[in-house]
Amino acid sequence: MKPTHQYTILFADDEPWLSEALRLSLESRNYNCISTASVSEAWKILEKQSVDVLVTDIMMPGGDLFPEADSSEAGFHFIRKLRKQWPRLSVICLSVIADSEKIQELKKQNVLYLRKGESPLESALKLIESKATGKISFD
Amino acid sequence: MTEIEQLKQEIQILNAKLQASEKLGRTYLQNVAHQLTAPLGAIKWSIEGLKDEHVPIHRKGNLLRSVYSQATILVHLIKNFALMSNLEADEQLGQMRNQEDVDVMLLAINLTNDFQPQAADQGRKKIEVDDDSFKTVLKTRKVKAEKNLIAQALSNLLENAVKYADAESKIVIRAEKVDGFGVSVISVGLPITEEEKKRIFERGERGAIARKQVPAGTGIGLYLASRVMKLHQGTITLATEGKTSCFTLVFPKTRIA
Repeated sequence: MKPTHQYTILFADDEPWLSEALRLSLESRNYNCISTASVSEAWKILEKQSVDVLVTDIMMPGGDLFPEADSSEAGFHFIRKLRKQWPRLSVICLSVIADSEKIQELKKQNVLYLRKGESPLESALKLIESKATGKISFD
Repeated sequence: MTEIEQLKQEIQILNAKLQASEKLGRTYLQNVAHQLTAPLGAIKWSIEGLKDEHVPIHRKGNLLRSVYSQATILVHLIKNFALMSNLEADEQLGQMRNQEDVDVMLLAINLTNDFQPQAADQGRKKIEVDDDSFKTVLKTRKVKAEKNLIAQALSNLLENAVKYADAESKIVIRAEKVDGFGVSVISVGLPITEEEKKRIFERGERGAIARKQVPAGTGIGLYLASRVMKLHQGTITLATEGKTSCFTLVFPKTRIA
């Protein structure tokens, strides 16, 4: 039996080894982390079960969901599509994009942007925790 | 008048070439920045994860392995940049600086050890050196070459194989009986079309499927490998069948010592 307070964080990243530390830290704090390597896999999970926070990359293959999309921005298509279906889902974008227009677009979609490698792990952790639990932790 | 027209045309062509090259340089730099940022970011986070006392000790091994494989990627990347500029100079000189008799099997084994953690990280892939093939083809003979350069050429083939091979697949390094001596990297993964084959060794070129599936890539690995082989009076060849790709570095007979 899962404890009732266990929150689920869904990751969509085709290079999961780049964010493994984040998942380990979350799991060690009793978060349930699900890793998916493509947007289509992530979509299937979102349809199937409840997710508290989605952490997604931008640059990854479009797969079955967006077969025509260029891999440099399949994540954008993913975010636009999921916003229609789940407008209130907490979404954090974890990527290396630097284009300010694109980052602005993410903000408009109510998506928090974290640049891979720039934010300390602890900040990323706190951010995800606060998104999941709705409060800021000080442990 | 016609001469002026001609000159005008030539200037336009030169201008277009210059713009194309500038654009190539810009995209290349963006690419480089991305490719340096991602592994460095992963290293930073892994170190923070190692320091995190909530993470149980038995799970920290993965983080150490990740630091190692990301550092390998960075070293490899930086070596490619250095090679890029050195090659120009070497070709002008028409000679290589540090030629030696290279034990290619040993080189293959060392590189395999280097890339194995990365292969394991990226979808439990495995690299194998077919040592029987080396013993049959080369026996105890060595290849006269600049070791650093051919190590980099072979690394580039390996890195691509690790990147583009199917999860849980096997990547094989094998010696080939060709006119001279060949060393192949064989992997099963992203298919390469006939059209892409023609341009795959050009600078900045990445296959359409490769771009769609794997966003990161500078598009200089195969270009550099082919330049290195040219410097050794050899070639690089590509044979494909469905999802299987076989890249071979071919050395001329004169280089077998």
